[in-house]
Amino acid sequence: MSMNKGAHNQSREETSRTVSEELELLAVMGQDFAASLDIEETLSRGLQRITDYVGAQAGAVFVLSDDGTTLTCTACSGPIDVVGLSLGSDEGIVGRCVQNNIPEIVRDVSKDPNFFQAADEVTGFETRSLLCAPLSVKDQKIGAIELVNKSSGDGLFDETDLHLLQSLSSSAALAIINARMAEALVEQERVRRELELAAEIQRSLLPDPGGDDFPVCGINFPARTVSGDFYDFFPLEDGRICFNLGDVSGKGMNAALLMAKTASLFRCLGKTIHQPGQLMARINAEICETVTRGMFVTMVGGVFDPRTGKVVLANAGHEPPLFRRTDGSYEPVPAQAPPIGISPFLTGSNDFPETEIQLENGSLYIFTDGVTEGYLENGEELGAEGLQERLTEYTGLPIGERLQTVLSPLKRDDVALRDDLTLLVIEDNNTGHAEQVVPPAGEETVPKKILSLQFRSQAKNLKGVRSAITGAAMMSGCSEAACQDVVIAVDEACQNVIRHAYNGDDNGAVELDVLRDGDDLVVELRDYAAPVDVSKIKPRELDDVRPGGLGTHFIREVMDTVEFLRPADGEGNLLRMVKRIA
Amino acid sequence: MKHEIKEEGGVIVIALEGDVDLESSPEARKVLLDCVGRKSPIFVDLSGVSYIDSSGVASLVEALQTARKAGFGMSLVAVSQDALRVLQLAHLDKIFPIFDTLEDGLAAG
Repeated sequence: MSMNKGAHNQSREETSRTVSEELELLAVMGQDFAASLDIEETLSRGLQRITDYVGAQAGAVFVLSDDGTTLTCTACSGPIDVVGLSLGSDEGIVGRCVQNNIPEIVRDVSKDPNFFQAADEVTGFETRSLLCAPLSVKDQKIGAIELVNKSSGDGLFDETDLHLLQSLSSSAALAIINARMAEALVEQERVRRELELAAEIQRSLLPDPGGDDFPVCGINFPARTVSGDFYDFFPLEDGRICFNLGDVSGKGMNAALLMAKTASLFRCLGKTIHQPGQLMARINAEICETVTRGMFVTMVGGVFDPRTGKVVLANAGHEPPLFRRTDGSYEPVPAQAPPIGISPFLTGSNDFPETEIQLENGSLYIFTDGVTEGYLENGEELGAEGLQERLTEYTGLPIGERLQTVLSPLKRDDVALRDDLTLLVIEDNNTGHAEQVVPPAGEETVPKKILSLQFRSQAKNLKGVRSAITGAAMMSGCSEAACQDVVIAVDEACQNVIRHAYNGDDNGAVELDVLRDGDDLVVELRDYAAPVDVSKIKPRELDDVRPGGLGTHFIREVMDTVEFLRPADGEGNLLRMVKRIA
Repeated sequence: MKHEIKEEGGVIVIALEGDVDLESSPEARKVLLDCVGRKSPIFVDLSGVSYIDSSGVASLVEALQTARKAGFGMSLVAVSQDALRVLQLAHLDKIFPIFDTLEDGLAAG
């Protein structure tokens, strides 16, 4: 045991201490420090060894506080326990040693003006001489280690003692730094785990995807572990769907917490308040009561009715959503109110004006600025136009896949996101998948298909059919009056299919094709019901005002040619109607 | 489709709004016939109607016939351009009394 050996050595002449013994002591203490899990325990043990070895009465380790203002004793050896004793970082000989970062031998403390008398007064210990070495790693000051009152030999600390203490202080300083770094790592790991938990709770606040047939779908990629963005949607009892998308100022934990609060308020209040303007005003009042100064939320909240394709929304300071019509054009829906959390005086529903949009088979895209300001691989921002281009390009993809694909150039595995990415779409897919082909300019020689729709034989689909046929007729260059006539004819023809051919069966397949053939607009309506006896279909007598029978009259009145054809494959009925448009 | 019913000065004013089509005409028919049952002169405001089809027109015709049988009049006021086109196609623009405004209708009544 080196300590016994050290104690034994005390009885010898000081000069007889051999280099190999000192090296052995240092090696043992160094190993001890390197393997230490408890730094204070190891410091105490090391200090005791060197106190014994040098033959001092006492020893102490002082460590500088984080702010560098005080020195506190964290380990000691000797008759008096001074652990916890504090003094100013420039007080006493130990303070001077720390500040100058120079080891010192003070053989008579009474002659030293810096000697900190107060300590002896408190402890009753009499300090005569001191050996003090700074604890430091490079320029980083950690504290100092001191030995008091040499009792062996001539009672005077010498250079050999000082060198020995310096060697101890070097390994002790490293050990303290290591211990602090390990502590910081543990703390970092703890914070990281807490962030993960927070992120998990945040993810649980996002709604479950509704599948490709569900008209609302969203996607969120956080830039960090937690996100300041959010979106949500949930069905109301009357069949409408309440939705929102928001962006909290900032990106850190504070943003994530405000996000959680705002999203929860929306979900809770949104179930009873179905007017988006009123809902936003209510949330604004709540948030303003408690929000941290300078934080705010931009948000779009609304209600979508899948049966009518109508969206009612309020936009509080958020990036304008993009309404994509079936003709491929986009219209931004600008904010009409400031962000949530700015003004506590905005509490009336009129303060958050509502906008009504008839989607008419189009889509409404709501997104955060992380999307438009996201960096592409070439270093440029995606921008609003870039987003529109991508939305147009991938418009044929299923709803969830489309959102993923549109954002894919921003969400690259090798690059950290600049900001959270969030994108939500509300889609009016009442009449099934509409496919439109833009006719090329110039002379037409072969019939060009302009519109192809498939839908079920349900009255609620007619509104969508009308808007699709309006778009198709306008694209073909029909006058407004001609458009109106074609809409009437198609609507009435579809009604006949629903009411008479399918006779109330709401699951019958209906196909509508619109073609441009030279100067003619050709509409073909196909069903798969039992063949209709064409001879029984006739326009009503005009002087008879009984209800019913009007539809066929309308069709014949507004279209130039109306033919009931036998489909090529023999099944169902095919109605062919032609309107001359030039 | 939405509707609003006002009863004042001994007449009933029914304002229809939006699309009166195969989906909504049963509702329109019910609203119209309910009002006709109250045995007051009726004015149907069509200014907010963006589309009306044969089934919507049929509901109007049925209400008109019921009102006349009960000995009261039913008039259309502020008929939108789209609705008028359909009424013309059905040649019903000569059968319904049609007024530009409610005031005109009340003055004529």
